[in-house]
Amino acid sequence: MSIRLVITGMSILSPLGLNKDEFWHNLTNGNSGIKDVTLFDVSRYKSKKAGEISNFDAKEYLGKKGIRHIDRTSLLASSAAKLVMEDAKITHEIYGEEDLGIVIGSTYGSIDSISSFDLEALKEGPSFVNPMDFPNTVLNAPASRASIFCKATGLNSTISTGVTSGLDAIIYASDFLKLKRVKAVLAGGVHGLTPDIFWGAYKSGILSGSKNGSLEISAPFDKRRNGFILGETAALLVIERLEDALKRDAKIYAEIKGYGNTFNPKKINHDLLDTEEGARCISVAMKDAKLKSNDISYISACANSSETGDIMETRVIEEYFGDFAKQAPISAIKSMSGECLDASGAMQCVASIMAINNGVIPPTINYQEKDENCDLDFVPNKSRELEVNNVLINAFSDTGNISSIIISKYSNE
Amino acid sequence: MDKRIVITGVGVISPIGCGKEIFWDALISGKSGVSEVKSFDTSIFKVHRGCEVKGFKYEDYVSNGSNRKIGKGSQFAIAATKLALDDSQIYTKDIDPESVGVSIGTTAGEIQILEKVNLLRFENGEDKIDPHLFLSHPCINIPSNISIEFGFKGPTTIIPTACAAGNYAIGYACDLIRLGRANIMLAGGSDPFSKVAYVGFGRLNAIAPEICQPFDKNRKGMLIGEGAGMLVLESLEDALARNANIYAEILGYGLSCDGYHITIPHPDGNGVVSAMEKALRDANIKPGDVQHISAHGTGTVANDKAETISIKKVFGEHAKRLAISSIKSMIGHTMGAASAIEAIACALAIKEGIVPPTINFETQDPECDLDFVPNVKREMEINIALNNAYAFGGNNSCLVLKKFSG
Repeated sequence: MSIRLVITGMSILSPLGLNKDEFWHNLTNGNSGIKDVTLFDVSRYKSKKAGEISNFDAKEYLGKKGIRHIDRTSLLASSAAKLVMEDAKITHEIYGEEDLGIVIGSTYGSIDSISSFDLEALKEGPSFVNPMDFPNTVLNAPASRASIFCKATGLNSTISTGVTSGLDAIIYASDFLKLKRVKAVLAGGVHGLTPDIFWGAYKSGILSGSKNGSLEISAPFDKRRNGFILGETAALLVIERLEDALKRDAKIYAEIKGYGNTFNPKKINHDLLDTEEGARCISVAMKDAKLKSNDISYISACANSSETGDIMETRVIEEYFGDFAKQAPISAIKSMSGECLDASGAMQCVASIMAINNGVIPPTINYQEKDENCDLDFVPNKSRELEVNNVLINAFSDTGNISSIIISKYSNE
Repeated sequence: MDKRIVITGVGVISPIGCGKEIFWDALISGKSGVSEVKSFDTSIFKVHRGCEVKGFKYEDYVSNGSNRKIGKGSQFAIAATKLALDDSQIYTKDIDPESVGVSIGTTAGEIQILEKVNLLRFENGEDKIDPHLFLSHPCINIPSNISIEFGFKGPTTIIPTACAAGNYAIGYACDLIRLGRANIMLAGGSDPFSKVAYVGFGRLNAIAPEICQPFDKNRKGMLIGEGAGMLVLESLEDALARNANIYAEILGYGLSCDGYHITIPHPDGNGVVSAMEKALRDANIKPGDVQHISAHGTGTVANDKAETISIKKVFGEHAKRLAISSIKSMIGHTMGAASAIEAIACALAIKEGIVPPTINFETQDPECDLDFVPNVKREMEINIALNNAYAFGGNNSCLVLKKFSG
């Protein structure tokens, strides 16, 4: 009774480009999308940079009407939803409103809107807040806004598991499709940069460059890494059952072969290097996909240039793959985009699907100094041509959530 | 063969009491949980009342309660989880933690932490604020804190689909068991009292000044509440194997989306109708099979009218024969926890054969002309109950519960 799920659409709005081809061109050429922050004032911080999306104009995607009171995260989500429908060539003649669903991973992007509303009430009094700003304070606003712009009403949901939420939204959508509740789901993650999250991350000392005299650089696995650089992105996939995709003669980019979720309850003891649940998550996904270790052509890492997180991920890969760990090409595209939080997992999926379709693996840039603790093949600085059949994509949240997905080349056997 | 999913444990933290016995006794005796708001100063608001949880002490539920700094949303959820696990007689030492997951619904997560940060920011500027306080706010902390507390290692997730979130979380938990991705799920919802919601709904003039009167002609709005409801879900096979007490079976659920407006429900109730119809289809039952509906029934003019229209659309003539009640008349609107607490009320109603009343019901509204079980509980056999929940963003949900009969 195994149901095959395929990916028939992709969209990405990212610091590396406003469409998938531009994104891919920059990724494979090792171009960084990280630059000085212009969206808000960072003058009081030592960290100055972010993976900001340049030239994003929501009007181009959503029209002028009714977008004034919508926050950046919701605008990015809605725009990406419009784009992914086009990319998948889905119209309402093909699938009715009720056949289509939207699931978006979003945890952090709405927080600034909540704070602004709350602070407005503190400053002006509760009777003087603008009621038009209230809807932005619900965490399901990005997915709900997208459903209004796209007329996709069969399923609408939001997952808020932090850095794993992009993958978790794709997993939730896949579960829903396996139970045959809708025909196609737009699924992925979104994070729009806001001053609140920048402030919180900076004050916590987890941003690169926040310590005196430290380099501000996104250098996953490199010895010089000292924290992450924030980024923003909206990345969505269209997922549907193979039989439906074939019926409508859709272009099939790739197949979702397997996935898994685990949780590491030891996280709270600050056992940041614990690997057991990470390795188990990969094993759950591999069993689901019915693959062996050496079937994996490429691993898309969650690594974001954090001191312990990158070591932990290295050890998770070593623990699961054993000897094969040294042979598997691994890259961290957050070296180019920054840590895009809720959007990261979905962004990694888009990059992995492009890798499968183009036979090229994007590099880990800014890789200069080897760290003895991270001693694997990180495809340093230059992309690599290679046949890519099966990609493992990992995500780890700082709250203990772990997710893995395997995306494979589609073959009609 | 499809797995059947059953409820084998319930835990409630509510404005009318904590623990299923106190909660249920209060519910069927029509007790109101409304009082003057104590979570924050309401003197500059036009309204002053709400439904807060009284006398809650986290240490009563968790022995090491003071060791970790966690928000009230997590405290409520952990306490409700503890109650549900005890009720199900599942002991964490006997189960494989890898096969146990957590699925939570919420509107605002640890909103009180963010409100505290904002107050500090407003009063003293942002320099002295502990950043870890800010980082413990995102709602993912709630399910994570549950899994950390009990050592669970299975899928741990949160679905923040506002006021319908509890049903979403329960529905997904059932799917995870059906798909073999977990054997036991702790599912439900949690929301602490939210000033942001109080400001927002207050600004929309949606908060009632005194009492919550769902479906009454003179209803004046909702009352903000807080609480948590958690359910232990497992496959029927597993429940029978361990000889568990079964409250009810979850037959299916339906989700829909208005795709119409971010705050205003579709005037024809289209999305709501669709959620109920899908739920009936998913459960493979006919409208005539249903005896009881736990209504979303917030007490606002628009919601209750639209919900009545929708129920009539789905049930036709049978609508008049349904016993419909809104426990929000007693516990207020507990936001993301609402549909989880209401699902527990449905399970208990089925098990006990008693429908809780809609209290504060004084005057019949010609536009809400159904049987809302006014003011007094009703003893009756319930085979199938529906649990409705709708939300901002047009996220609608409906859960179908059935008496377990082998």
